[in-house]
Amino acid sequence: MSEIKIIITGTPGAGKTTAIAAISETPPVRTDTATTDELSEVKEQTTVAMDFGELTLEDDQKVFLYGTPGQRRFEFMWKILVQGGLGLIILVDCTREDPLADMKMYLENFSDFIAETGAVIGLVKRDMTDTPPLDEFYQALNQQGLMFPVFEVDVREQGDVALMIDALVSLLEYS
Amino acid sequence: MSQVRISENGAQFCQSVFDDMMTQSDAVYGVLISTVDGHDVVKCFKQDMPASKLAAMMSSVLALGETVAIEADQQQCRYVIVENSNGYILTLRLKEKLVLTVIARANANLGMLHSITRSAVEKLAEKLK
Repeated sequence: MSEIKIIITGTPGAGKTTAIAAISETPPVRTDTATTDELSEVKEQTTVAMDFGELTLEDDQKVFLYGTPGQRRFEFMWKILVQGGLGLIILVDCTREDPLADMKMYLENFSDFIAETGAVIGLVKRDMTDTPPLDEFYQALNQQGLMFPVFEVDVREQGDVALMIDALVSLLEYS
Repeated sequence: MSQVRISENGAQFCQSVFDDMMTQSDAVYGVLISTVDGHDVVKCFKQDMPASKLAAMMSSVLALGETVAIEADQQQCRYVIVENSNGYILTLRLKEKLVLTVIARANANLGMLHSITRSAVEKLAEKLK
């Protein structure tokens, strides 16, 4: 039985903790604390170290999921959490001002890790506001010389999270 | 930017508590109050250290300590101590949304450091709303 480590990142409030909770077979490990800044208008708690969950794929492959804090001040945790990781899921909150810029920012910040592994983009909260069409995300990836799957997902849905994980595992297997 | 604010009087009170701590143990060379989500609020450093970075890191460290305690079926994490070859970093909760971090050289007596820190937390918690 093999084990793989996948990292989930994205802007604060994108749903990283929710995604891990939706799919983990064990109660997720959380490091949520009260928000004391402008983010408190959006949510009461935020992840300050990591989330952790695990699941087993059909071929008995064990997947360990690590969620990062979203805020840039926790960049040191990003560097710690990607160690030994095999792929990255970037959640992009489409209700934010510039989701394309958010995606680019995370692609840039994890560029060294992505260059050695791979990534999947999950667009969340697509139904709540006018957001750039899917094509624009693919174009933005192409402009950076990247070809990664982009999905519209509801991270509260186990099936949607599983879709991103399956896509990432496939991407890594065939790259 | 954190919405947690300490008044001028409050900041002065914190500084007096920090001064007392440094007087009680000359090994203490840094005291920092930050928020649980990683913003620095008030500090007294005897040497240059990145307060904003330390604030974020200490919120992660404390959260991990508290989470590890729960996973190990232990309750009420009192302190997280990072013991290094040339010093100690001790951090603990200060009321619901704040974190107190004390940085000391290796010549600190860990028992004394506990005592000084606990006493400081009691004073600060009483004063800070």
